[in-house]
Amino acid sequence: MCASVKYNIRGPALIPRMKTKHRIYYITLFSIVLLGLIATGMFQFWPHSIESSNDWNVEKRSVRDVPVVRLPADSPIPERGDLSCRMHTCFDVYRCGFNPKNKIKVYIYALKKYVDDFGVPVSNTISREYNELLTAISDSDYYTDDISRACLFVPSIDVLNQNTLRIKETAQALAQLSRWDRGTNHLLFNMLPGGPPDYNTALDVPRDRALLAGGGFSTWTYRQGYDVSIPVYSPLSAEVDLPEKGPGPRRYFLLSSQVGLHPEYREDVEALQVKHGESVLVLDKCTNLSEGVLSVRKRCHKHQVFDYPQVLQEATFCVVLRGARLGQAVLSDVLQAGCVPVVIADSYILPFSEVLDWKRASVVVPEEKMSDVYSILQSIPQRQIEEMQRQARWFWEAYFQSIKAIALATLQIINDRIYPYAAISYEEWNDPPAVKWGSVSNPLFLPLIPPQSQGFTAIVLTYDRVESLFRVITEVSKVPSLSKLLVVWNNQNKNPPEDSLWPKIRVPLKVVRTAENKLSNRFFPYDEIETEAVLAIDDDIIMLTSDELQFGYEVWREFPDRLVGYPGRLHLWDHEMNKWKYESEWTNEVSMVLTGAAFYHKYFNYLYTYKMPGDIKNWVDAHMNCEDIAMNFLVANVTGKAVIKVTPRKKFKCPECTAIDGLSLDQTHMVERSECINKFASVFGTMPLKVVEHRADPVLYKDDFPEKLKSFPNIGSL
Amino acid sequence: MQSWRRKSVWLALSASWLLLVLLGGFSLLRLALPPRPRPRAPQGWPRWLDADLLQSFSQPGELPEDAAQPPRAPHGGSCNWGSCFDTSKCRGDGLKVFVYPAAGPISETHRKILASIEDSRFHTFSPAGACLLLLLSLDAQTGECSSMPLQWNRGRNHLVLRLHPASCPRTFQLGQAMVAEASPTVDSFRAGFDVALPFLPEAHPLRGGAPGQLRQHSPQRGVALLALEEERGGWRTAGSNSSACPWDGRCEQDPGPGQTQRWEMLPNATFCLISGHRPQAASRFLQALQVLAALQEMSPAQVLALRQQTQFLWDAYFSSVEKVIHTTLEVIQDRIFGTSAHPSLLWNSPPGALLALSTFSTSPQDFPFYHLQQGSRPEGRFSALIWVGASGQPPLKLIQAVAGSQHCAQILVLWSNERPLPSRWTETAVPLTVIDGCRKVSDRFFPYSTIRTDAILSLDARSSLSTSEVDFAFVVWQSFPERMVGFLTSSHFWDEAHGGWGYTAERTNEFSMVLTMAAFYHRYYHTLFTHSLPKALRTLADEAPTCVDVLMNFLVAAVTKLPPIKVPYGKQRQEAAPLVPGGPDTGPKLQAPDPNCINQIAAAFGHMPLRSSRLRLDPVLFKDPVSVQRKKYRSLEKP
Repeated sequence: MCASVKYNIRGPALIPRMKTKHRIYYITLFSIVLLGLIATGMFQFWPHSIESSNDWNVEKRSVRDVPVVRLPADSPIPERGDLSCRMHTCFDVYRCGFNPKNKIKVYIYALKKYVDDFGVPVSNTISREYNELLTAISDSDYYTDDISRACLFVPSIDVLNQNTLRIKETAQALAQLSRWDRGTNHLLFNMLPGGPPDYNTALDVPRDRALLAGGGFSTWTYRQGYDVSIPVYSPLSAEVDLPEKGPGPRRYFLLSSQVGLHPEYREDVEALQVKHGESVLVLDKCTNLSEGVLSVRKRCHKHQVFDYPQVLQEATFCVVLRGARLGQAVLSDVLQAGCVPVVIADSYILPFSEVLDWKRASVVVPEEKMSDVYSILQSIPQRQIEEMQRQARWFWEAYFQSIKAIALATLQIINDRIYPYAAISYEEWNDPPAVKWGSVSNPLFLPLIPPQSQGFTAIVLTYDRVESLFRVITEVSKVPSLSKLLVVWNNQNKNPPEDSLWPKIRVPLKVVRTAENKLSNRFFPYDEIETEAVLAIDDDIIMLTSDELQFGYEVWREFPDRLVGYPGRLHLWDHEMNKWKYESEWTNEVSMVLTGAAFYHKYFNYLYTYKMPGDIKNWVDAHMNCEDIAMNFLVANVTGKAVIKVTPRKKFKCPECTAIDGLSLDQTHMVERSECINKFASVFGTMPLKVVEHRADPVLYKDDFPEKLKSFPNIGSL
Repeated sequence: MQSWRRKSVWLALSASWLLLVLLGGFSLLRLALPPRPRPRAPQGWPRWLDADLLQSFSQPGELPEDAAQPPRAPHGGSCNWGSCFDTSKCRGDGLKVFVYPAAGPISETHRKILASIEDSRFHTFSPAGACLLLLLSLDAQTGECSSMPLQWNRGRNHLVLRLHPASCPRTFQLGQAMVAEASPTVDSFRAGFDVALPFLPEAHPLRGGAPGQLRQHSPQRGVALLALEEERGGWRTAGSNSSACPWDGRCEQDPGPGQTQRWEMLPNATFCLISGHRPQAASRFLQALQVLAALQEMSPAQVLALRQQTQFLWDAYFSSVEKVIHTTLEVIQDRIFGTSAHPSLLWNSPPGALLALSTFSTSPQDFPFYHLQQGSRPEGRFSALIWVGASGQPPLKLIQAVAGSQHCAQILVLWSNERPLPSRWTETAVPLTVIDGCRKVSDRFFPYSTIRTDAILSLDARSSLSTSEVDFAFVVWQSFPERMVGFLTSSHFWDEAHGGWGYTAERTNEFSMVLTMAAFYHRYYHTLFTHSLPKALRTLADEAPTCVDVLMNFLVAAVTKLPPIKVPYGKQRQEAAPLVPGGPDTGPKLQAPDPNCINQIAAAFGHMPLRSSRLRLDPVLFKDPVSVQRKKYRSLEKP
């Protein structure tokens, strides 16, 4: 490095001092060497780039350079589409057998240019949208370049618009695809089917068993559960940015923005305008636009000019009428504008109707009822209209706004059919993100009171307090509904006492040894738990009476989806510190129960062990604290419900541990617990705990009633 | 100097040459050797250089300017809702159904179907006023084949209920009639027009029906994962330990250690494999193993959800003939209603569309059942509805106590009494409206449009409550908006001696009903009471006023499948509990209704929906030995 710098410094001085003759000689020599070097360099890199363009850098090619395939006039033509095709008859699911993770794999054929015997192209090679569509598939998790492992095949022959292709020759092109096999497991995308004069509602290209993702199916051509109905993509989606407009009343109640309506329909909508005046707006093509104005982006009413699609945002409802084809691109524009589409196209299969609930986003009116449209719409309550406006916009954002969205939704639908047990739920397809966030789907939603006969399993977490543990076991075994006792031995350095030393009780007693001393072992879904109800109990809780525990179990039966515990605790917002605070004072409210003794459904053990969000589980094990707060958070978060505190009990007093109940320890404890709440609230991204003002007591608790007639006379005090 | 210079130049030159030779050599070497196979990155779809120049699939202007098409006539071969059903006949009353009388002797199922329609709110006796004409077709047993009915009109607005598939030769074309049948084939089924039914066995109960067999939410351990239907009526179970098959169909043909159980014995398994056609046993076993492999991939959460959903669907739509038929009619009514049909949530989550009337609302938040799924909360205010029965005394003290609650939005006085309306009422902080009722007990549960809140506090003029009691009870109701929250309770029991249900208002350790003379509940139950209960039951309540409590409690329990909730009630008044509304003024004794009443209602429901509870919800510090100053609801404890 230093040497070369020196040379560079001295270099300029060197040459002027030489004789002219030598100088020319040296310069020539230098130039030759330099040229040689450059040439070598070129040689070094040039072949490399040629080589790579054959290899992995295929991408930088022109569409015009793709291989040409000549289709002889007599090459085979597939059968016409088979109307009786269903997934179980025409689709070979075994081809999807190699696909892991419940995801189908999709292969895309290489792009070719097809010409007939005379060298005339069969169609335009590929449209912008179809290229986008194939790019989207290729970039997705569905894609595979291994034709032998693919479950679904997508030809690169562009049939989006039937008008641009020659039907017979396109069919021949399909038939010579390497894995065509009567079109089995092949997927074609078409948005504009049919052609004049009678405009078929499905692609006219004979395609045998191939699946068709079509934009404009009618009930006669749509093979329910086989084809996929897709939207007609509106190029305006990409061109125009319509910011979302909040729901609520808009200037026009009903708007018709389509041009080229059939005169009969136009008469009908104009009649609506005459009848209802200002609240209905009927637009048409502009006839007197000056040169250079893009006519697609303008609409006119008499001499008034409106910007399209912006005008759609001024209306609550927008008519989407059948044109020559059932599928109309205007549907996409209307949804984008958050205008509720009023679909008047008998027998039209709405896009993605297999999974999307169009009742929530649109109004479908039979053509016959067109004159009643206004009164039908007026009968819809305002609240429902606002829901529909929101829903319409959400459908556009999720499934209409780009070719990519359309392609991925189509593949997801097919994927859901092949792996129905892993299918996306109705809610996931249809609920807008705001609803998904705010709503709770309780995993134990069935209102069911489990039978008392099943009883509960008590799980005692213990380390080495054997004496206290034995007392707990003896006490708990007196509870009538106890069906099994499980001791979780959390001490790896010491063996549990010998079998003969354990208290003799009337139910099975099992000891589980753990591999590590972790608090979360208490909430592990042990195979030994055979009942739905679990009682978690510490090895020092001896003050709870048998009546109290039995009553706790009976309360759990009435609320099997909740945590049912004894001492209650509360979380509070500390306005000074701007964070959550843990509260164990005797308040009028509770939002948590301690799991030192609590009943809950064993499903929550599974959730705690395998589905706890973030690093909470490790955090609890590391800090050896707050496993109960974590459980309270978890249950409240999945069920959306509050805990049930039973009986007056306010704290667990254990005679042995009064000594350490000192004030300073208490304060650190409170600080730690508050920290847990703040930590968990940030991991959950919300505060799931619910505050209530009630607790559960036996019906006749503290009533003036003979004690001996009460079911649970011995309910302990604080 | 010169030589030094020359030397250095030569040095530089030779170095350059060396470099050149080396580099060139390498390149030649690379050409000579085949390229090493590099780790293959997936070859995606190419990024074309000229992608931006590609034409759009539709030229601007092409989309909107397609040649327009005239309206099309209904397609000949098939029907859809828009083209083959005339909804204009259904205006006004909604769906009214006329059933063609049976021509000859009819089967048991047939009779049950007729009964379930005739008892429903859909039924009409006039074919002219009906919007749907129902034809029960072609009973195989009787051998009678229906002839063309009178009002046929090419089958328009007709529903043909086929109990036994193709048991009769078709004597006439179905035309535009809808068909409701079990297991329709995908080729003949017209989606959105025909209705698919479950198969109805002869023994299927008319109403009520057995509740689901599920006694606990999650699958038990040690229970077989899959049971498969066998020929000759049996089940074979396959455990989760059976060898799973790969998806390519290569399975060992080992029937495994499963055991065959009798058909009648319901299989104790998590999943049951039911196949449409009956393939050979061997291939079925292969199929089952593949299914098993798939099922094992399902998460416990999914299995839990599916199990519960089967129970909900069974109980809401399948368990009796009445439910199946009413579901069919409800489906058709939803088609008629269009935008005011049940949203999907109402169909698919408890209590189901038969119990969540879309005539009440189409917004789930308006019902008491869906707050969790909607992420909404019950309103923070209630309306007090005070019924003034025979006594005719304006309940001024009660009005003051209730109006004192911070949650009270309005007070409605339902004057159901022969005396004239008093002209003056007390001044209250909240609006007070007097409704002049029509002297019937069932009036108390009429959905008055003047009720503007979701929560109703139903009161009798002679009830006595303190503001504290009202406040606490309302806060509890907000946690359980679908249940009734009451102060006074009673319970039902099975009376062996009389072989029927009994009823007691005595204080016991458990209860299953709360008295509606002082109870919070959702206003939706007024709509349900008035519009979904059979008229006979409402008449029963009017004739035996003590029955109305039982009826309301039955209704709510049938919807929620849960017991009501009891909250504390002042002690001294509990002994001197006020009268049951409507009863004669015979003294301060709680009067138990006629046991006939509970048995009649139970018969009409077809089952006993009441559930018992053993708990009472008290304030957190209720009767605790702590300072009264700490307690929010301290007046609840006053002796």
